Amino acid sequence: MKKQCIRVACLLLSLSISACDQNKDRVFHDQFFSFGTLIDVSLYGVEQQLAESICRKIEADFMDMHVRWHAWQPGPLVSLNNHLANLEATTITPSLLQLLKEANRLSRLSSGLFNPVIGNLVELWGFHDNALPVGMLPDSVAIKELVDLHPTVEDVTINDNIISNQNPSVSYDLGGFAKGYAIDRAIERLRESGIHNAIINAGGDLRAIGQHGERPWRIGIRDPRQSGILASLEISGDASVFTSGDYERFFEVDGKRYHHIIDPRTGYPANNTASVTVIHSDAATADAAATALFVAGPDGWLSTAQNMGIQYVMLIDTHGNIHMNPAMRSRIHFESGMQANIILSAPLQ
Amino acid sequence: MTRADRILILVIVCTLPFLYVHLWSVSEPADFIVVHSGNHNPFTATLHPDRMLHVAGPLGESVIEIRDGRARFFSSPCKSQVCVHSGWLSSTGEFSACLPNRISLSLSAQHRHYDAINF
Repeated sequence: MKKQCIRVACLLLSLSISACDQNKDRVFHDQFFSFGTLIDVSLYGVEQQLAESICRKIEADFMDMHVRWHAWQPGPLVSLNNHLANLEATTITPSLLQLLKEANRLSRLSSGLFNPVIGNLVELWGFHDNALPVGMLPDSVAIKELVDLHPTVEDVTINDNIISNQNPSVSYDLGGFAKGYAIDRAIERLRESGIHNAIINAGGDLRAIGQHGERPWRIGIRDPRQSGILASLEISGDASVFTSGDYERFFEVDGKRYHHIIDPRTGYPANNTASVTVIHSDAATADAAATALFVAGPDGWLSTAQNMGIQYVMLIDTHGNIHMNPAMRSRIHFESGMQANIILSAPLQ
Repeated sequence: MTRADRILILVIVCTLPFLYVHLWSVSEPADFIVVHSGNHNPFTATLHPDRMLHVAGPLGESVIEIRDGRARFFSSPCKSQVCVHSGWLSSTGEFSACLPNRISLSLSAQHRHYDAINF
């Protein structure tokens, strides 16, 4: 009997110890700066040497893409924009070709609300600088002139690897898209290396694949107007969660906020929206859609989401109302104490 | 079975639920910060007691304030002051960064409630 008791005690103790082992954090974390933000890589269940090696490759990829796609520092995209401004046809590299084709496609789907060729407007507002403008608005006449020139992706023609343009005001700025595209490339690299449980988080915009061991990845969505978490969701499989917000890059003049998401129709920062969160399997699509839906605003986001094939949307307007489609409502969990007014839309197909 | 055996089993059975809740639970609040500075190794600091941390970066010194279990960039030598305006961080996984000064600040916990924060 005494031996049996010892066996039972050993069994129970081993269960306790196994709980300790299960709880041990088996996620490898790595961080580096790129694309003007902090890139956070989480890999589950990957041996440390492989994890470190793959993270260095991902970092090198991000650095390379950042240089090649930078909108205002000398590089291939700036060079391309110079050719486009002079209406000169030019050849582009395969990687840039693919990027521009995808950006143009998403712009068409959004009816131009995600517009990757308004680089001149973005520059006029002072967002082509690491430091934000202080106390000065751009000249309203200059804004109107640029809006009236109406640069769109329809002005651009891509044949094989040759790109041409018929509107001198066209200037690519892939700020609302390149980060998502880069995350997709990083996920591809992980999968090629046999890694199927990971999160790539680029300054709060992320794509998660697989899960955290036996449980889904848990993602918190930050409140756009105060510190803390507004809602959370779980991901098992493959999903990108992107948020565009008026709090990311902005400056204030006479107490009014001017943020970096420019409405191509007016030339001014889009009104009425505080943030838009989009879930989609593809990070590049989620990135572009978050920008487009932010510009579309509380009255236009539903049709834009429909056209872009987005199935999960949460838009918070500047009055604090939360607009969302039923599928999003059933997917996310609001933190207790959340008191905002939720406005449910018709379902997205 | 002796009395001591019974007591031993009783203690273990009573302890198991406690171990389950505290070792498998993921609802722990943030209890420390992780600071990355340039290419230096990151360092951690607890969220108590209240204090100021001075972190050197390429532009100069950024000051991180820790108060009431929260943390924020109190000051930084960057032009934009985006890091200072981003305010207090209070939940595990939240982060803020002074990109020009290459310093990042994130909140973490022994057991992270969220694997990543979207914003």
